[in-house]
Amino acid sequence: MFDSVEKVQQSLADQDFICDKKIATVVFLAAKLEKPVLVEGPAGVGKTELAKTVAAATGRNLIRLQCYEGLDEAKALYEWEYSKQLLYTQILKEKFTGLMDGASTIREAARRIGEEDSVFFSDNFIVARPLLQAITADEPTLLLVDEVDKSDPEFEAFLLEVLSDFQVTVPEIGTIVAKSRPLVFLTSNNAREMSDALKRRCLHLYIDYPTEELEVRILETKVPEAAKQLIEDLVGMMHRLRQLDLKKAPSISETLDWARALLALNASELNEDVVNQTFSVILKYEGDVRKAESELSKLLQKKQGEAAAQAATPSQTPSATAVKKGALH
Amino acid sequence: MQKKILEFTNILRKSGIRVSTAESIDAFKALEVLSFDDREVFKDALRTTMVKRGEEVETYDQLFDLFWSGFYDNLRESFGEAANGLPPGMDLERLLQQITEALKNLKGDFGDLSELARALLTADLSMIEQLIRAAAEQAGTGRIENFLQVGFFSRRTLDQMDLDGAGGELRDLASRLEEAGLSAEEIQALRKLIEGLMEAARKSVRAYTERELQKQNHDYMEKFRRETLLEKSFYHLTEEEIRKMREVVERLAQKIKNIMSIRRRRLRKGKLDLRQTLRRNMPHGGVPFDLIFKHRKKDRPKLVILCDVSSSVANVSRFMLQFVYSLQEAFTKIRAFVFVAELGEVTRIFQEKDINEAIEEALEGGDVINVYTRSNFGYAFHYFWQNYLSAIDKRTTVLILGDARNNYNDPRAWCLRDIHNKAKNVVWLNPESPSAWGFGDSVMNKYVPYTDVADECRNLRQLTAVIDRLLL
Repeated sequence: MFDSVEKVQQSLADQDFICDKKIATVVFLAAKLEKPVLVEGPAGVGKTELAKTVAAATGRNLIRLQCYEGLDEAKALYEWEYSKQLLYTQILKEKFTGLMDGASTIREAARRIGEEDSVFFSDNFIVARPLLQAITADEPTLLLVDEVDKSDPEFEAFLLEVLSDFQVTVPEIGTIVAKSRPLVFLTSNNAREMSDALKRRCLHLYIDYPTEELEVRILETKVPEAAKQLIEDLVGMMHRLRQLDLKKAPSISETLDWARALLALNASELNEDVVNQTFSVILKYEGDVRKAESELSKLLQKKQGEAAAQAATPSQTPSATAVKKGALH
Repeated sequence: MQKKILEFTNILRKSGIRVSTAESIDAFKALEVLSFDDREVFKDALRTTMVKRGEEVETYDQLFDLFWSGFYDNLRESFGEAANGLPPGMDLERLLQQITEALKNLKGDFGDLSELARALLTADLSMIEQLIRAAAEQAGTGRIENFLQVGFFSRRTLDQMDLDGAGGELRDLASRLEEAGLSAEEIQALRKLIEGLMEAARKSVRAYTERELQKQNHDYMEKFRRETLLEKSFYHLTEEEIRKMREVVERLAQKIKNIMSIRRRRLRKGKLDLRQTLRRNMPHGGVPFDLIFKHRKKDRPKLVILCDVSSSVANVSRFMLQFVYSLQEAFTKIRAFVFVAELGEVTRIFQEKDINEAIEEALEGGDVINVYTRSNFGYAFHYFWQNYLSAIDKRTTVLILGDARNNYNDPRAWCLRDIHNKAKNVVWLNPESPSAWGFGDSVMNKYVPYTDVADECRNLRQLTAVIDRLLL
C-alpha cells in the first residue's frame, strides 16, 4: 500500500492533507503492521480528517462508527431484523402448516420447524452495523471509530475482542473472519482515559496543534485563494491566541473557518475592526471572547512589531528551519 | 541493536512508563519495516508502539535524547576544547602531519601505539566512544544507583580502558619525537595537547557515568514528588507546588467524574416504561421485543460552601474550590461564600470567570469582604443566618472550610445549629488535626455537635476522600 514514510506523506499531501513526519510514520506502521491506530488530541486538529484522507489515499471504503454514551452491540455490530422475520412468518404461515401436516406429535412438529430454523437466522435477516460491515466487506476497508472516549467502558471491552482478531461470532451463524483486515482508526478527545488493554493493542498517535509553518502550509493548501500575507498574519495571531489561557483554544478547523470568513468579508488584512467582528468564528465561549478582546491590541501590536522587523530584513526566509521544526514536532 | 532497544525499554519502565511485552514486540516489528537512517522516524516509531499516554511523551522525549544520543556531542565538545588549546598558528592537522613525518624518520608509525592512545592522538571520536562504552560495560557502570558512586565507577572505567597507560605511551612518544628533532615549540604544543586530551578523556568518562546514572534514575524523582504531593500539607506549599498541585487536582477531578459516570449508569435503570415500550414495538406487531425502562432521576446534591479565606487556610480553600468547581456538573447548584469576619457571596464570580481566575479573586475577598481582618467565625455564621438561611433546604449539603480559630470571639454556635437543622448535611473540613481542636482559641469543639462530618483535611488525599463521600 505504502512503500515508505515519505510516500505516505506525499500521498496524503495529494489529498490536500498536510502533515508532519510523525503522523506519516504512524500511518505507515499501521498499514504495515496491520494494527489499529488510536488518535488523540484536542478537538479540531484533524483526527477524523486524517482517517478520511487515508481512506481516500488508499482507495479504501470508509466505514464510520460514531460512538456515544449508550452505544451497544446491536448498534455497532449487528442486529436481527425482527420485523422482517415476523413478516416472513406471517406470509409463510401456510407453508408451515404444510410442513407440520402428518406430524403425529407436538414433538415431531417442533422438530420439523426446528430444521428450518436456519432460514430465519441467516444473512438474509441480519442487519450489519459498521463493525460487521468492515469485517465482511469484500474490498479492503478503513474503519473509523470516532470519539471512542464517549462510549461506555463495556463497549470498549467488546471492541477489544473485535480489534485483536478481526473476527466476530454470531451464535446462530458462526464465526465470521475478516476477508481482508481493515485499517482501523480510533479517535479520542480524552474525555476519559482509555483502558490500558485497548491502548496496548493500538499504535498511539497524539496530534497537537501544528507549528506555525505547518499551519501556514495547511492554509495555503486548503484556502488557496487567500493572500500569503493574510495567511501568515492569521496563523501568527492564532498561535498567540493559543498561548492565552482560554477555555477552548481555537484549532485548525477554526483557523480554516476564519480564513474563509475573512475572504467572504473581503478583508485583505487583519485589523482591529475585522478581528472584533469575526471573533465569534474562532472563539466559542463568551468568556474567551472577552479575554481575547482585552488582549486584542497586544495581539495585533505584536504582529505589527514583527511586520516592522521583517520589513527591515526582508531577505530572511525561515522556511528551511521551519520544515525541520515541523518534522521534530 | 536489539539489546539496546531492550535496554531502552527497561529504562522506560523504570521511569514509570508502562510498556508491556506485546508492545516491545510491536516496536521490533515496526523497526523491521522501517529504515534506521532517519532519526525522527526511528523515534516516532518507538514512541507510537510503546508510549500510549499523552503525559508520558515528555518523559519519553527526554529519555530518548539521553539514551540515543548526546554523548557523542559531549565528546566533541571536550575534545574540541583540547584541540583549541593549541597555540595560535598551529592546528591539529598540521601537527599530526609533522608527527607522522618525524615518526617515519624513527622508522615507526602510529601502529606501535595502543588503540586508545592512537584514537586519542588522532581525536577519532567514534573510536573513543566505543572504547569508553566497552570499558564502562566491563566496569559495570549500568548498576550505578546514586550520585556518590559516580567517582567510583568513573575510576573503574578509566582503569578498565587503561587511560594512564595510554597517557604514558603518548608522553613517551613526545620525548622520542623531541630526540627526532621536532622543534621545541612543537614539542611544547604536543605535550600540552596530550595533557588536554587526557583531561578530556577523563571528563568524558565521568560525563558518561553521570549520564548512566541519570538514565537509571530519570523521572524517579519526578514520580516521587508527584506522589508526595498528595500527602503534602497545604500549609507548606511553594508557588511551584501550587501550580503542580493544580494539575493534580484537575486529574483527580477527572478521575472522580469517570467513577461517577459509572455509578450513575448502574443507577440508571428504573421501572418498565409501558407507554414507551408499546410505542417502540409497534413495528413488531405489538410484540414487546425491546423493553424501555424509565430512567430513575439521580438526586444530585445542592452545595453551599463557606470558605474561610484568612491566610492560614487559604490554600485549603483554594483547592477545595477548584475541586468543587471542576465537578460542577455533579451538583445541581453550587453557592460559594467566603468569609474572614464579614461574609460575602462569590457565586457570581465563578459563573463569569475562568475557574482559576475566579479562585484567586475569591481568595482576595472578591470585592465583597475585607480579608485583612481577624477571623471571627461567630460573626460570619450569624451574618449567614440572618441573610442566607433561605439558601438552605433539605437537599443542601453545607461544606465549611476553616480552622475554627476564633480569636476568642463569641462562637455563636446556635447559628450553626439552625443551619444544621435545615440542611441535609453539614460537613466541616479543618486543616488542623483533631487533637488540636478546642485548644487555644480554637472553638471547633463547640461546632462539632452541629456537624454530620467533621474531618481533618490537610492534604490532597484527605480532600479527595471527602469529595468522594460527598458524591456517594
